[in-house]
Parts: sequence; C-alpha cells; structure tokens
Amino acid sequence: MQPKTWLAGLAVVATLAVPVFAAAQQAGGTLKLYHRGNPPSGSIHEEATYSTTMPYQSVFNNLVVFNSQKDVESIENIVPDLATSWSWDSTKTKLTFKLREGVKWHDGKPFTAKDVQCTFDLLQGKSKAKLRKNPRKSWYWNLQKVTADNDYQATMHLGQPQPAMLALLASGYTPIYPCHVSPKTMRTNPIGTGPFKFVELKQNESIKFVKNEDYWKPGRPYLDGHDWTIIKSRATRVLGFIAKEFDFTFANDISIPLLKDVNEKYSEAVCHTAPTNISLNLIVNREKPPFDNADVRLAMATALDRDAFIKILFQGEGQKGGAMLPPPSGTWGMPDNVLAKAAGYGDKAVDVKKAQDLMKKAGYGPDNRLAVKVSTRNIATYRDPAVILIDQLKSIYIDGELEPIETSNWHAKVARKDYSVGMNLTGIAVDDPDVTFFENYACGSQRNYTGYCNKELQELFMKQSSMIDQEARKKLVWEIDAKLQLDVARPMIAHYNAATCHAPKVKGFVRKKNGSYSDWRFEDIWLQQ
Amino acid sequence: MAKPVIDHAAELAKAGAGVDSRLSKAWFLAKSYPLGAIGLLLFLALVFCGVFAEWIAPMDPVKTNAATSLAAPGALHALGADMMGRDMLSRIIHGARISLAVGIGSTILGCFFGVVIGLASGYLLGWFDLITQRIIDVMQALPLLVMALVMAAALGPSLENTIIAISIPLVPHVARVIRSNTLSLREMPFVEAAKAIGMSETRIALKHVLPNTLAPLIVLATAQLGSAILTEASLSFLGLGIPEPHPSWGRMLSESAAEYVRTAPWLVIFPGIAISFAVFGANLLGDAVRDILDPRQRS
Amino acid sequence: MASYVIRRTLLMALTLIGISIVIFGLLRLVPGNIADILFDAAGFIDPAEKAALEDELGLSDPIPVQYWNWIWGLLQGDLGFSYVTELPAYDEIAPRIPITAKLAVLALFFSVLFGLPLGVISAVNQNSALDYVLRVVSLSGLSLPSFWLALLILMGFVHWFDTIPIYTDPPDNLWDELVLYSIPAAAVGFRSSALIMRLTRSSMLEVMRQDYIRTAKAKGATDNSVNYGHALSNAVLPVVTIIGIEAAFLIGGLIVTETVFNIPGVARFLVEAIQWRDYPIVQNLVLFIGFVTVVTNFLVDILYVALDPRIKYE
Repeated sequence: MQPKTWLAGLAVVATLAVPVFAAAQQAGGTLKLYHRGNPPSGSIHEEATYSTTMPYQSVFNNLVVFNSQKDVESIENIVPDLATSWSWDSTKTKLTFKLREGVKWHDGKPFTAKDVQCTFDLLQGKSKAKLRKNPRKSWYWNLQKVTADNDYQATMHLGQPQPAMLALLASGYTPIYPCHVSPKTMRTNPIGTGPFKFVELKQNESIKFVKNEDYWKPGRPYLDGHDWTIIKSRATRVLGFIAKEFDFTFANDISIPLLKDVNEKYSEAVCHTAPTNISLNLIVNREKPPFDNADVRLAMATALDRDAFIKILFQGEGQKGGAMLPPPSGTWGMPDNVLAKAAGYGDKAVDVKKAQDLMKKAGYGPDNRLAVKVSTRNIATYRDPAVILIDQLKSIYIDGELEPIETSNWHAKVARKDYSVGMNLTGIAVDDPDVTFFENYACGSQRNYTGYCNKELQELFMKQSSMIDQEARKKLVWEIDAKLQLDVARPMIAHYNAATCHAPKVKGFVRKKNGSYSDWRFEDIWLQQ
Repeated sequence: MAKPVIDHAAELAKAGAGVDSRLSKAWFLAKSYPLGAIGLLLFLALVFCGVFAEWIAPMDPVKTNAATSLAAPGALHALGADMMGRDMLSRIIHGARISLAVGIGSTILGCFFGVVIGLASGYLLGWFDLITQRIIDVMQALPLLVMALVMAAALGPSLENTIIAISIPLVPHVARVIRSNTLSLREMPFVEAAKAIGMSETRIALKHVLPNTLAPLIVLATAQLGSAILTEASLSFLGLGIPEPHPSWGRMLSESAAEYVRTAPWLVIFPGIAISFAVFGANLLGDAVRDILDPRQRS
Repeated sequence: MASYVIRRTLLMALTLIGISIVIFGLLRLVPGNIADILFDAAGFIDPAEKAALEDELGLSDPIPVQYWNWIWGLLQGDLGFSYVTELPAYDEIAPRIPITAKLAVLALFFSVLFGLPLGVISAVNQNSALDYVLRVVSLSGLSLPSFWLALLILMGFVHWFDTIPIYTDPPDNLWDELVLYSIPAAAVGFRSSALIMRLTRSSMLEVMRQDYIRTAKAKGATDNSVNYGHALSNAVLPVVTIIGIEAAFLIGGLIVTETVFNIPGVARFLVEAIQWRDYPIVQNLVLFIGFVTVVTNFLVDILYVALDPRIKYE
C-alpha cells in the first residue's frame, strides 16, 4: 500500500470518527425534570405509582435488570445487576444468584447476601420490621424462602418452576433494600446501592438526587445528579416544558392531545410515544342484582364501542385487547383472530343489536330502562372515560349516572363492594402473565377489585406460570385471556399510549415499548454539552 | 291544540297608566344607574339562559362525539367542542343554570340561617348572643375558601353539597349585619310602642324588626351572588365542587381544559368569559341595589 | 384602653380555642383518613395493614383523646409529625410561611399602589367618563376568576416571550425574588386593588362632603391640596379595614394562584394537606391562619385609635 493512500485512508477514518467521537458519552451536568405531585413516600416496595418509582429507582439496584438500552422488557433482555450471574437447578425450583463483591450501601456499609434475604423476608412479611403497605405481596405466591448461602450467594426456593420470576426481579419495583435500615427510614430517607444518592424531598417543591461517587459500575452514572421540580398542575408543567425550563417530562405525562402542542411549539424535543401498559377497564359488581345476571354483564361488554374511547381519549393512540398488552408491542396479548372471539370486538352495529337482545332477555327494553350509578374516582383520567361509557350505555337501555368518588374513598368503597359499575385503570408493572393474572384475577388477591374467583382459571394461571417452553405458554395465556373476556371478569376497553419527552441534549434514554415502570435508573443517560 | 293567545297590548291598556308610570319609573332608574341597568341586563340574560337552557342550547350538553373531539369554533360548533366532542356553546348555556343555582341557592341558604341567627342573637341577647357571637368570631377567622374546601371534602361532590359548602361562610357575615341592625332597631320607638300594647316578642321580631332589616339584607345578598359564583368556580377548579357530567363553568375551566390551553384555547377562554360576565353583572347589580337601598353609601 | 386590650386578648384566646375545635371536628367528619389515601396510592387496601397504620398514627384513639393529645403537644411546642413525610410538622410548615407572606405583602403593596390613587381620582372626578371607566375596571377585578387570569398570563408569557414565570428553583437574590413573585402577586392583587379603590372612592366622597373640607376650600386651599391632603388622610381608615378583611381572604386567593404559578407556599400546602388528610399539618396551619387573622383584626382596631383620635375604646 502506498503511503499516500494509507494517509488518505487515515483521513477518511478520521472524518468518519468525528461524528462517532462527538456521540461519545459525556459526563457531567444535572438533569432537570418535573414531577407531577408529591410522592406518597420514597419506599418503592410500599408504593405502586410512578410518583415514587420514577424518581427513586436510581437510588437502588436490583438483583437483575432489564437492559436499559433495549426497547423490550423480556426474559431474554435481562442483564446482571447486583447479581453477577444466576442459575436454575435441575428441578427448576431453585434459583441461585452469585452476588457482586465490594458493593457499598450509600451509608458505607457493605452489601451482602443477607440484604437479599432481608428484602424478600420483608416482602413476605416474615421479618420483624414491617412494611406499612405491601402492594406486591401477590407476586410471591410461589416463593417459599430466600436463603443466604454465604456472603456473596443467595438462593430463591420456589414451590413450582417459574421462569418468569426473573422478569419480576428485573422490574423497577423490585429493588434490594438494606437489612440495617428500617422501613420508616426507607420511606423518608432511602438508602440504596444505586447510581444516585437521595438528597432531599421538599413537599410541593423539589426532590434532589446526587451522583454516587462510589458506584460499583465503572464510569457510571454520567450525570452529576437529577433535580425534580414538583408541579401539580399539568397545564403549568407542560407549559414549563415547552418553555424549556426542564430537560425531561414526567413518565407518560404528555397525553396524545398535548403531544401535538409540544411538537408544534418545541419541535426539537424528543418524544417517545409508546404503550403505557395501563388499561382502561370496567369493574362490575357481580354480586349486586341485576349484575349477578351474566347476560347483563355480557351485554355491557358487548356494547362497548372501544374505537370511540380510543379516538376521543387518545386520538387513536390506543389498542384494543384483553388483559395482556396487545401485540405487536405486548409479548403476550391475544392476536386479532383470538381476540375476535371475545365479546364486543366485531362489527359495532351487530354487537349493539346482540347486546340489546341480551338486555331484553334479562327483562329490559326501551320502555323498561335500567338505572345505574357509574362510580369512578374523581380524577379527570377516570371521569372522562366514565362520561363516554354512560353515553354508550344509553343504546342498550341503561341510564347511567356518574358517581364521582373522592380518591381517598375509592378503594375502600370498591373493597366494600359498594358499587354496581365502576370505571377503572389498571397499570401493569411488568408485561408478564404472572403479574397480570395473579394481581388482578386470582382468587383473594388484594388488587382483584371485583373479587372475581374462578377455580378452573386459577389452575390455569398456575399451570402457565410453571411452563418452561415460552411459546407453548403463550398459547395457554391466549386461551386464559379469551376466557377472562368472555367471563366478563373485568371488561377491557383499551390499552393506551402516552409520550415521555426530553430535550434534544438528553442522550441514552430508551423507552421500553411494553412497559413504563422500569426505565428510570438514569445511569446510562448523559447530557450533550 | 291552539294555545290561548294573550293580547299583550290589550292587557297593558287594561292595566292603564300604572304600567306606564312603572315603566317610566324603571326608565328613570335605569338612566340614573346606567351601570346597574347593564348589570340587570347581564343578570337577566343569565337567568334566561338558566331557565330556558333546553330550548336555547343547540345541542345536548353531555352528548359525546368522537368525530368532533377538540373541534375548533366553526359552523357546527359556534364556540368549538371539548375533548369529548361536546358542544361548548350548549355547555355554557346549561352551565348558566348551575351558576344560577349555586349563586342563588347558596345566597338564600346562607341568608336564611344568617337572618335566623342574627335576629335571635340581636333580639334575645344574653347567653345565646354571647355564644353565637363567639361562634361567629370563629367562623370569620377561618378563611372562606379553606372552609368551603373542607366542607366540600366532608360532604362529597354534588350540586347540593356545593351549595351548602358555599353558603356556610356566608352565615356569620349575614348574622353579624342583621344582629347589629336588630340591636339598633329594638331601641326604636315603634318597637317600644308594640311592646307597650302587649305584642309578643316573637311577633315583634318577625313583624316589625325583620322587615326593617330587609334593605341591608338585600344589599348583602346581591353583593354575595357574584362571589358565590366565583367560589364555586374556584372549588371546581381545585377539583372539588360540582362533578361531571354537569356542565359547571368552573369545572370546564379546570384540569383537562387547562391542559389544552394552547391547543384548544376556546375551552379556557369562553367559560372564563361566561363566569366573568355573570359575576360582573351580579356585581354591577349589587352596587346599584346598594346605592338605591342604602342612601348613606350613595355615590 | 388597657382593660379593652385585656378583654380583646381573652376573646382572642377564646376564638382560637373555638377554631381548634371546629377544624379538629370538621377534619374528622371528612370521610377517609391518611391510611385510606396511602393505600389508595398503592392501588389496594389491606384491612390488617390499614388498622396497624391507624394504630401507629394514633387514629384509632377516641376523638377527645386525639384532641387532647394535639392541644397538649401544642402547649409544649410540639406540633406533631406530618403523616405523609413523617417529619416534624413544624419543619414542614415554618419554611413555607415566609414564601406566602412575601407574596401576600407584595400583593397588598400592589393593591394599595393602584387602588388608593385610582380611588381618589375616581372620587374627585365623580360621575365623569373617567370615573365610570375606573369603576368598571375595578368591578371587573372583582369578577375575573383569579385562576383564569393567572392561566391567561402564563399562556401569554409562553406564547409571546417563550418563557414561563413559574417557581422552579428558590430565587438567589432579592431582585430575582421580586421578579418571581411580582406576576402572581399582581394577579392576586388585582382583586384587592379593586376593593381598595371602591372603598377609597366611597369614603373620599363622604369626606369631601363634610364641612371642614368645604371650609378648607372656602379658605382658598387649592383643589389638589384639599383632595390629596385632607381627604386622603381620612380615607386611610377604610383602607386599613380592608387590609384586615383581606388578610383572611387573601389566603383563599393565594391557594389558586400558588397552584397555577407553582409557588411552594403555605396556602397550596394547606389544600394538599386537606386532600391527604394530613391532620397535624391542617390543624396547626388553620390554627395559625386563624391566629394571624385574629391578631391582624385586633391590630387594625388599635390602629383605628392611632389614626383617628375621635375613636375611643372602653
């Protein structure tokens, strides 16, 4: 090779390298975000809301996590975190983790296998220290115990095989807590091993986190910290983002109609529109007449004009589906041909006719209308769909009246079964049937608001959970989901999308397309200066 | 069936000069209080919309329509449509009924209890007066909106409860004015005279004292009308107050509408104008009524 | 005078006790408590865990015991702990008071700055076109919902200036602070300035009809010196009254304004605490607001005496 061509080649490489070099991660800078309201506490294990999990996730590590640079939450995309490796025994009921050595809690104490054991003892109510609230107890129905084999190895002992246990552990909702810190301190002043340390929370004002200089992962995090301004009014905070006061919006805070506004006024902003894995659904009190009549329930599920909901509330950015997030974003949702068998997913005019016939069979008609209260939380995201529902039910001889319930009384009322029909929102932490079925449809689960209990399906829930072959499992999940819809367990209206936006200088953020609760570690995010 | 036709001209003629002079009197009042006349007109417009909402409103105010979600003002929707495709003009017209109900309802309710307490307190005096005065002290030291907020939370969101919540802070205000009026009235010669001829205390209070406190009461009530409408709007804006699907103006302005302040400004501008005009009208009217009934304050 | 002050002080104490009972009772009437809210946030309710939480917070004690515990703590300077943040209630409340106080003072300043001169101008030019315009403007100040006005202001700023005058970080210096608070203060002050203008106008008219003004004019005093000298000094009295009345009302106006402009003051904090059923915060804060109101009214009454020698209290 001639020296000159060699030099030219070098020049070409150099020019090519420039953009690559420019794209290399830069350290430094503080990320400015806004928060939608005061978090109920700083303890992720006690809460089930973005308000806590989004800001506080970066304080912690899990045993394993979903790869932050991949856009799907799935078992294949799980990478090591506090566990360096993991292995199943031959019975597929013992899951052993090798733990990272030399990791320190933010207060300087060393992390060991004891902490892993403590975390799960706490979640199962076995430890002396108690959580005030334990919203994900139902996740661990199959967990017998966690043992600390030595300082750097822990084993989970399961009742039956459960490959999806890894997905539950990878969720942003499953951080490892320190043994030596009380649950109360974890609520007010959480201590973790994660990339950022909690500094302070000022109610109505701000939450601050600063870089953990001793973080075990070399070179991370890039940011010096992240600061949150708490803004309760959505109108104000979105205007604030448009006025470039913030680098990052709150998770899924930009609804589809607002997205238009952001795009128009702040076109450089990067917006990630994706499913929230939150679904809009009906809860029907199947103990209260006339809703003890399966025909009436089926009529309601059949009459729902899901397209109208999606069009009005989400400007078309939503999907019809069953309990599981619909494909292509969702891994487990029923394909269209299976979904079509469920009630109310065919031609609307035909369906309404069918529903009217069902109502007539139950003794109602144009001259004998059914008056019913539609209960829902007194919050716009609940109230708006309820108003549409009432409008739609008119066509099947049901006169609904909205009964808005103060947030403080909503769950108490539902738990008392003091309602007939309710409009409900269900958020799913991880796109996996083991979460959805056991939280929302299993007999006796706390979040099974309707008290739906079907022994036959319960068997199937456990069966799908134990299946090793994930493709075969998927077929069974479809079958279960279709049955849930036909049984009108919790008629699904829609799964909806929303956007999370950030300034163009924010790099390294990948929004998962099948879940939105585990994206908030912030360790791979950096600011282009 | 043909409706009986009323010949207005003939009826007026039958009534004769009385109508004429009443009309001219009204005209005279309107000329001396032009701002008050404008207020009366605005208020009458509010009443008209409230009473005949079903007939005036071009559409059903709660009918949702996917096709017209966030439609801009145009031929179909004169003032645009909200997120759920409901016609804003129709909602604003129906909203007049709610504002009217809240304004008048809470004013009457608050005045009623205020008068009863004030009259009893000022007439009976003694320990009853002492205790009520302390209660009134307490109620006046609590900020109005805070009281209404706690009450609205305690009672739950509904039209009736909102009226009650707004009327409560009015009670001490009215009671205090009525009490001081009663105090000065009970020393008046005609009350002394009634006592002398052996009239019962209750009768004196109801027949002689009450009618004489009417003027300040009306002044107070008209002044309260506007602020009651405003308080309802503030409560609804804060998420308490009157629930969907009732088209309350304050609710229309709040939450979801405020989010679309840029994409669909008509959702925020028109209900705001409606509130402002209604309250403005009520305030102008209140001013004029005060000027007419309370000569000391006449400007 | 001394006996008057003593009597008033005793009455104030009585009023404060009344306020404490009323707010304490009202809060217990409101359905739902902090346990309900905390569980609601977590999307479920577990009766056993909820009962344990209520025990922990002393919510299952009999109501009179709860009241006594509050008052007893208060007398010892212990305000209890916020149910939500689990921090001392004093540490939650105290830092927010100056923020709201600054906003309120600035709002009052604006309202006097505009209300007083406009009221005088309006009175001096009684029934002229200018008078009508000013009266209509002032009435509109009483008619516009303040949150609506605030929203329009925000919208205008973003639209025309590409910036938003909301609170995001604590201001670094006095000037920044002034700039930050002046827009929300103007939005709130609009209402009070309307009130002050109206009152100034009517009391000016009354004063102007009185004998000594006529005498002053007859003696050859110029119009201006009469109007602005003699008359104004008398009109200050009603303005002081308004300040007393508005002190309590301002809190209400500030609630919505603090919400829209995202100011972390005490007014919005109170609303939030009501929504969370954070009893220790609400109780102590309402009592404090009551205290400020009662004391302000007392000071206003005392000020009357200082300003107007004709008034005497027995």
